[in-house]
Amino acid sequence: MNAAVTPVARIADMDDPHFDPFFSDELVYGDIADPYPRIAELRERGPVHAGTYRGLFTQRPDPTLGRFEHHTILGYEAVTQVLTDPETFTNESFKYNLGLSFGRTISTMDAPEHPQFRRIFQKAFLPQVVATWGESLVDPVVDSLLAGFAGRGRADLVEEFTLHYPFNIIYRQLELPPEDVRTFHKLAAGLGVMVVDMKSGLEASRKLGDYFAALVTERRRNPTDGLVSLLATAEVEGETIPDEVLISFLRQLVNAGGDTTYRATSVLLACLLNNPDQLEAVRADRTLVAKAIDEALRWDGPVTSTWRWVARDTELAGVPLKAGTVVDVVLGSANRDPARYPDPDLFDIHRDRPARHVAFATGPHICIGQHLARVEMTRALNALLDRLPNLRLDPDMPPPDIRGFLLRKPRHIHVRFDRGRR
Amino acid sequence: MKQWMCANCGWIYDETLGDPDSGIAPGTRWEDVPESWTCPDCGARKGEFDMVEL
Repeated sequence: MNAAVTPVARIADMDDPHFDPFFSDELVYGDIADPYPRIAELRERGPVHAGTYRGLFTQRPDPTLGRFEHHTILGYEAVTQVLTDPETFTNESFKYNLGLSFGRTISTMDAPEHPQFRRIFQKAFLPQVVATWGESLVDPVVDSLLAGFAGRGRADLVEEFTLHYPFNIIYRQLELPPEDVRTFHKLAAGLGVMVVDMKSGLEASRKLGDYFAALVTERRRNPTDGLVSLLATAEVEGETIPDEVLISFLRQLVNAGGDTTYRATSVLLACLLNNPDQLEAVRADRTLVAKAIDEALRWDGPVTSTWRWVARDTELAGVPLKAGTVVDVVLGSANRDPARYPDPDLFDIHRDRPARHVAFATGPHICIGQHLARVEMTRALNALLDRLPNLRLDPDMPPPDIRGFLLRKPRHIHVRFDRGRR
Repeated sequence: MKQWMCANCGWIYDETLGDPDSGIAPGTRWEDVPESWTCPDCGARKGEFDMVEL
């Protein structure tokens, strides 16, 4: 990164100094330990059902999409059919939830404007680009976090590592001043509370937007070699990306890139630590790291469900769907469909021929940050195995307990290890 | 053997590997992949791929 980064105005904190967006995680995303038996029971009766996915687990109303008629899509074939037919199943649905939090992001767009902007943003996150961030951005974050506990012999890998890891990488990408990180992190998490606290969610969205507007203006005036400058100066058919679209993308980057990778990395570590034989196999043969990551994403991906808008009357697996309704597309159910994956509830990194999963979705809106997520998860796992010898669960503490029906993660991963290299 | 990358999502078509899930055998040259084939990750058409050096 360019050392001569011109700072922008300080970020404004929430009006309520006691606002705590982290407290509400279970309220927003659910507290259920294992949603999969309920999902499997319903999927066995058919791939498409009337009603919401959310309604399977909570009676708490959804103020964003709750007013629309819903169907829940559970089978792998039906899920992929929806996600790869963007003319029938559009992203209009996201205007009512993500659109409120992040603004006019590419997640709320459909063709023809979606592919136009998507290609520009994707260019900044292609495999060969994010690979170069491994050493320059990712490793320094790994080093600084590991330094905090590698000499201690025990740690909580969520509280001390995964919860900070992808966010700190993004803050480096954004060249945030260290003194703004704490407030920035709180506002970014605040974007996620919209379902239970609309007022605070909107306040967080507005304040992050104000900050990013100033940042974009400054980076256009004095470009660095950082991500914001790259995007702020990128051109679409001779014109820069409109501020509204760019600022919305940056709002979403923190949430989509930070929050999901924190959860996915936590689940990966929990899966391997809960299966010591598989952890040992990966430790001994690092060519298994990629398989372990994909199996963890399939087995318990961080985002259990997404949504699409039914743009025209249609039929899916024999069930009629009306235009102007919503389909809850349950990625976590597709990834455990026994028609696609033998013994789907088993976490097994040695599957003969790992089938493609939909943890990152599929179709034109497939996760734009999937390549960065893989780089981050790979480097995190390798670093922990290299530098925390004999890494294992702490026998004196509760094992990791993955929870949530919408976004999944363990709250703690208590481990022990031989005192390692910092 | 060359590699081609989807500009929409970054999925890589490697001629060595082909795309067996979609019926494209390993070793299939890019010019022999049918125009009706689409990116297995995002559904983009063949014309949206660029040749890349990795």
